[in-house]
Amino acid sequence: MKCSRCKKLACVALPSHNAGFCPECFPLFFTRQVETAIRREKMFTLDERILVALSGGKDSLALMLELKLQGYNVTGLHIDLGIPDSSWKARKKVEDFCEKNELQLQVFEMEKWGLPICDVKEFVDRPVCAVCGKLKRHIFNKVALEGGYDALATGHNLDDEVARLFANTLRWDTAYLSDQGPVLPASGGFVRKVKPLFRLSEFETANYAFLKGIEIHSDPCPYSSGASFTNHKQLWGELEYRSPGQKFQFYNGFLQRGKQAFAALEKEIGADVKPCEECGSPTSVGRCSICRIKESVATKKAAAQAGK
Amino acid sequence: MVTVHLEPDGEVIELANTKSVLAVLNRLKVRSTMVIVARDGELLTPDRKLHMGDTLLVRKVTSAG
Repeated sequence: MKCSRCKKLACVALPSHNAGFCPECFPLFFTRQVETAIRREKMFTLDERILVALSGGKDSLALMLELKLQGYNVTGLHIDLGIPDSSWKARKKVEDFCEKNELQLQVFEMEKWGLPICDVKEFVDRPVCAVCGKLKRHIFNKVALEGGYDALATGHNLDDEVARLFANTLRWDTAYLSDQGPVLPASGGFVRKVKPLFRLSEFETANYAFLKGIEIHSDPCPYSSGASFTNHKQLWGELEYRSPGQKFQFYNGFLQRGKQAFAALEKEIGADVKPCEECGSPTSVGRCSICRIKESVATKKAAAQAGK
Repeated sequence: MVTVHLEPDGEVIELANTKSVLAVLNRLKVRSTMVIVARDGELLTPDRKLHMGDTLLVRKVTSAG
C-alpha cells in the first residue's frame, strides 16, 4: 500500500478514510485531525492554560505531546489511584514521559486524600469502575478549578465516545445524552471539558504513539475485568470493519441531529445543581456522592480495623 | 515460522504458513484496525508480506480500563 499523500510505502492503513500513510505523513494527518477538532468546536486558544488528564495510556500521552507540539500551554495531571502493584507503574510512565518531553506535571495521590481505590473496592458495595470514574472526574474538576485552568482536556477518542454514546442510548439516559460531546462548557462549578481526540480512533492514536516512540502503560487495570465498555468497543470494531466510517457517522450524526432534543428535554426535567454542603462541588443533592462515599469508606474501614 | 509477541497479554506464539500480515491477523481472529503490527520497529499494513523467521509485535489498541 502506498501513502495517499507522498506515495512512499505506507505503514498505516485507514479504511475509514480510504487512505494509507507513511511514517512521515501519518503524524501530519493526526495533527490536522486535532487542529480541526479544536478549531471547529472552539475548544481553547493558544492564550489559555490547559490541564491535561494523564492516565499513562496511549491516548492521554499522545494528546499531551500533540498539544505541546502545537504550541499550547499544557500541564499534565496524573491521579495516583493507590492500587497495589499497579498504580506505581502507571505513575512512573507518566513521570518519565513528562521528564523526557519537558512537560509540567502535577500528581494527585488518592491515598493521601484518604480514598485509595483499593479501599473503594473493599468497602463500597457498587461497581468499582463506576465509583473510580466518578472520583476521577471530581478530582480533575477540583484541581482544574483550584489551579485556575481554563479547560480540562482528556484523551477520549472516537471509540470512547462511540462506546459511551452507545451505552447511553441503550439506557436512553436523557441526562447523559443531553451533554455528551467533545466540549462541555464551563458552568455552575464545572470547568470547561474538552476532548481534542474525538475525531481519531483508538487505532489512530495507537499508531501515533508508536511512531512518536511514546512508552505507554498498557497493563489492564486489575479491577476492570469484564467492563461492559470494552465489550461495546469490540462490537463497534466489528461494525466498523464491515462498514468503515460508521463510528464517526453515528457520533457526528448524534451531535448534529440528536443531542439538541435530549438537551431540551433535560432542561425541562433535569435536576438543579447546587454546591455540596460539605465540599462545595456541584451536586443535585444536598451533600455530594463523593463526600458520602468518603464518609462511608472511612466508617467501614475503621469498623473493619476495630474488628481485627 | 513467524514469531508473534502479543501485547498487552505478554504471550509469545509461533505461526506456520502465514505469508502476510493479514494472514497473521486472520489466524489471531482480530480485525486490522483493532491491533497495530510492527516488525523490527516498523509498522506494517495488512498487505505486507512476511518471511520465514520474522518476529512481529501485535499490540491490541483497545484500552483495557
